[in-house]
Amino acid sequence: MTAHAKCAKKFLADEPRADWHDETLWLVRTKRDRAAAAVDEWEALREQASQIKEEALANLNGLLKQFEAEATKNGAKVLWATDAEEFNRIILDIIRQHKAMNVVKSKSMLTEECGMNAFLLKAGIEVVDTDLGERIIQFRHEMPSHIVLPAIHLKKEEIGATFHEKLGTAAGASDPVYLTHAARLHLRRKFLAAEVAMTGVNFAVAETGSVVVCTNEGNADMGVQAAPVQIHCMGIEKIIPRQRDLGVFTRLLARNATGQAVTTYTSHYMRPKPQGAMYIVIVDNGRFKHLTQRSYASSLKCIRCGGCLNTCPVFRRSGGHSYGYVIPGPIGSILAPERSRAGGIDLPFASSLCGSCSNVCPVKIDIHEQLYRWRQDLTLQRRTSFVKRVAMCVAGFVLSSNARYNFAGALGRFAVKYLPRFLLYLPLNVWGKARELPVPPRESFKQWYKRSHNQ
Amino acid sequence: MQIMKSEPKYRHFIENLRAAGGEIVEIAAHTGSIAALFPDAIDFTQETVRDQFSASTSLEDLDKLECVIFEGSFGVAENGAVWLEDKDLPHRILPFITQHLVLRLDSANIVSTMEEAYDRIRLSETGFGVFISGPSKTADIEQSLVYGAHGAVRETVVCYNPSNLSSKG
Ligand code: SF4
Repeated sequence: MTAHAKCAKKFLADEPRADWHDETLWLVRTKRDRAAAAVDEWEALREQASQIKEEALANLNGLLKQFEAEATKNGAKVLWATDAEEFNRIILDIIRQHKAMNVVKSKSMLTEECGMNAFLLKAGIEVVDTDLGERIIQFRHEMPSHIVLPAIHLKKEEIGATFHEKLGTAAGASDPVYLTHAARLHLRRKFLAAEVAMTGVNFAVAETGSVVVCTNEGNADMGVQAAPVQIHCMGIEKIIPRQRDLGVFTRLLARNATGQAVTTYTSHYMRPKPQGAMYIVIVDNGRFKHLTQRSYASSLKCIRCGGCLNTCPVFRRSGGHSYGYVIPGPIGSILAPERSRAGGIDLPFASSLCGSCSNVCPVKIDIHEQLYRWRQDLTLQRRTSFVKRVAMCVAGFVLSSNARYNFAGALGRFAVKYLPRFLLYLPLNVWGKARELPVPPRESFKQWYKRSHNQ
Repeated sequence: MQIMKSEPKYRHFIENLRAAGGEIVEIAAHTGSIAALFPDAIDFTQETVRDQFSASTSLEDLDKLECVIFEGSFGVAENGAVWLEDKDLPHRILPFITQHLVLRLDSANIVSTMEEAYDRIRLSETGFGVFISGPSKTADIEQSLVYGAHGAVRETVVCYNPSNLSSKG
């Protein structure tokens, strides 16, 4: 079994929880559908968003330079990092330079990707994640299981127990209002004490040198506006050319993520606050190389709405942690084989190729086609497992000859009918895991067709 | 009020703001401070009040604020968002740190979509600007919607009648 399948099995062992996960994310998907349907020009917006992102990726160097020039003019300091190590070091340097001890951070998948929290902890700096979901999983030493809903794998009782231990909430309390309020008080203290606030970036506008951050909780702003030093961390692909383009993306992002018309806060940071310092750190970490892989480059258009995760039947029934990559779900499965250090090569196979992801994607990434291409490329590059390669060779041998195909079909129908269960459901037969094989028909389609059309 | 309510843009704005968890108060032509409606509010639309607060007021003091009032530049019909920027804010943290955020809005100042909104804004001329739609919220615990994650627990938009409409209405 591959890593994803193994982890999914663990996830599915708790059936009520797996069902809850599946149904809850489907509900988010239906909210998204309603929000999208309420906008007449939805499809035109998707097309526009897709084209703007393509334009941006095609002119990335120029736009990044323009962004740097404009942001510098605005009074921000722009820094560049080639990889995770350099990125982490830059952040540590800024923190040390400002003699900061208290650091807060709002959601940034980039810092997750680069393992920043662990790095800074080793250097003696404890970063406090301030998004409620992220704070919960930080307390529990877990990874986010979803890019928009990081704690979607947890039940409120578990969160209540964690808060009881860490924040002293009443034992056994699990009311979401009560728990959220406790977190609010706890994190207020962190915000007010913070000397440095970090954020991720949703969009970086080349024309004006500004960064845009979208949150519902207001944690990005509580951090940025309270701390004297603000640091915005972005991958190179967050660039969009013009201020006007924000109109397109802010109309799509929240609707596609949660079904809201817009996030509560859409914050535009241009200049440091009085007596404050503002840094923007732009990170490559494999993205430029990824861009040169022509058939996979468009995955860098992603605006991290999470839409493809919510709609994916495999994601909903296997949970984000099963993917073993920082970005789970369909989009993660086409990023991981190129970018994950751990490999992630089984992920393109963790899909039914139903294409639902591509259908909901607001920037029109051909996700399921890339999944399919990765399967072929990984197999040709011999990066797939030995068993899979042998199985594919056998399948190729059988399927390339009429006689062998007919014989295999007959053999299959015979086997399913007459072989004893224990032989049929040997561990070798992965298709017999957790499923009943169908009752075999008496004859093949071919036989039926010949018989019924020759009369 | 009649004419104002029949404006489709205005109606959409109200609907979408409510959907985002915001509250609406409609008043006739705007005269001076609306602080009487919110007894414990600090009204930053008044210059004398603005002068008492500055970027150097301590965070601890700001954290005690119960209710603050600002003038929103304009609203967006399709999502109930209101635009605020540096020039309206003596301290950038105010709309977030307060428990209750009140935004005064001239109901003639509503655009239909975010595209139109961005046509109105000049990012290059401001240091910080934000669209706010409703109170702070989260659904990170089992997808239950809770208001007041970190920012304001309540948001009220006070829409006043523009004189050109109210005189006819
Ligand atoms: S790939 Fe598309 S649908 Fe998936 S998270 Fe990115 S933008 Fe959203």
